[in-house]
Amino acid sequence: MVKNSLAFEAETFRKIQPQEYLRRFIQGNIRPDGRSLSQFRPTTVNQSCITTTNGSSMVRIGNTTVVCGIKAEVATPKFNSPLEGYLVPNIDLSPICSPKFKPGPPGELAQVLSENLNNLLKSASVLDLTSLCIKEGIAVWVLYIDLVCVNYDGNIYDASVIGMITALTNVKLPEATFEESSGLVKATEELSVTLKLQRIPYSVTVALFDGQHLLVDPTEVEESITSEQITIVFDEVGQLCSIWKIGGLPSSPEHLKQCMNIARERYKQISMIVKSSI
Amino acid sequence: MVDGRRANELRKIKCKPSVLSQADGSAYIEQGNTKCLAAVYGPRETRQKAQLIHNKANINVEISLAPFSMPQERKKRSKSDRRLLEIASAVKQTFEPIIMTSLFARSQIDIYLQILQFDGGTIQICINAATLALIDAGIPMQEYVCACSAGCHENHTLLDLNNAEEMADTPELTVALLPMSGKLTLLQMDSRLHVDKLEPVMNLAALGCKEIYQTLDETVREYVKDLFQKSSPY
Repeated sequence: MVKNSLAFEAETFRKIQPQEYLRRFIQGNIRPDGRSLSQFRPTTVNQSCITTTNGSSMVRIGNTTVVCGIKAEVATPKFNSPLEGYLVPNIDLSPICSPKFKPGPPGELAQVLSENLNNLLKSASVLDLTSLCIKEGIAVWVLYIDLVCVNYDGNIYDASVIGMITALTNVKLPEATFEESSGLVKATEELSVTLKLQRIPYSVTVALFDGQHLLVDPTEVEESITSEQITIVFDEVGQLCSIWKIGGLPSSPEHLKQCMNIARERYKQISMIVKSSI
Repeated sequence: MVDGRRANELRKIKCKPSVLSQADGSAYIEQGNTKCLAAVYGPRETRQKAQLIHNKANINVEISLAPFSMPQERKKRSKSDRRLLEIASAVKQTFEPIIMTSLFARSQIDIYLQILQFDGGTIQICINAATLALIDAGIPMQEYVCACSAGCHENHTLLDLNNAEEMADTPELTVALLPMSGKLTLLQMDSRLHVDKLEPVMNLAALGCKEIYQTLDETVREYVKDLFQKSSPY
């Protein structure tokens, strides 16, 4: 059927003019998936779901799904910090989660996210690394925090942070002692040691559209057409852990203030969701 | 057996289709303690011109083992690990004659399998998960493909071996069957088994496949009924 006018079907319009499509929705104060600009997608958390790990969790924010598993190993500590163990976060974004990822070595996004998670753990001092020490200078615990994204629909960072922190809270380690005579580390069969987190940070990501509209918890489609994203991380006492703003046009301090308020509110929501998932 | 099952009892199966929103078809299967997620993308444009086949679709299978999936140490198995490549190749060859590839010339069907927790039976769970995901993606196939492993220990034939049984030097035979026609598509075994024992072990595995088929078929029918009810206007 030949269309005489320039009126397109919504789906066609979305494909050829994605920004204009989003603009039309925002003018009505709503987003294409029916949420308001400051509404988060339904979030669920499942703890201790993978039994082959020392600690695990699965987080879903809308359709974005991340599985986190922590495995503990014994290693020699670094030379200049003989009393500290280490945490090694790593996220894997493979073709299974979205058609935009190609098979092969970790791409830019995966590496950036892994590095950001590592920075968050270090700068926020989430865990006192000396609690991972088995024998000074000889043996410490290394916790490998592996995150696997199985479905990518935007806002992977928030899901990863929640996944990582909840997995850390349910880590169970055996009691390890260093035997001088044999030079070996012996561990009990029973897993009785849990980790005490010093801070519990959760993040909130907001995308900035057209330099003025704040879209909270962006979906993959929204992420791809906005050039600015602001991520704010708060901890349980309301202290700011980190902020970063990725690229794009400069945004006003007003926007940052709004984002921080949103982040504070959301922190309470996430805490409740995590508490009810135990 | 070690986990309290009888010799010819399958592990508990839980399966669910359509779990991922980004993939064209997906499925999640748990067989005992082994958990596997499958995603199917396709038919879509081939990534590399070299893989383009002029008269049928190219099937690409990729298996990845999550680093936290192994019960002992953390193993960061790269995707080009030989064992994984071998299993992926076996899965690809199993599905090649079953999927009606001649309907989608010059395109590619990608099957991604992610093992989240490992307790034995990699090939069988990959094949079962892939079958369910392909059905969910709506890719035309001749039949279901169901796989099951069986072994022999001290003259008893055992069905559906878990990791402990696999490691205990039990000869293990994996069979993939087309349940409706009863034809065998895959047979794999790499240990010593007396030729007299071959038939009973194979038959037991075939019975296991048929049982798995019942479960998968029920799941698919339930799911479609559910979809139908949701999409009907009343």
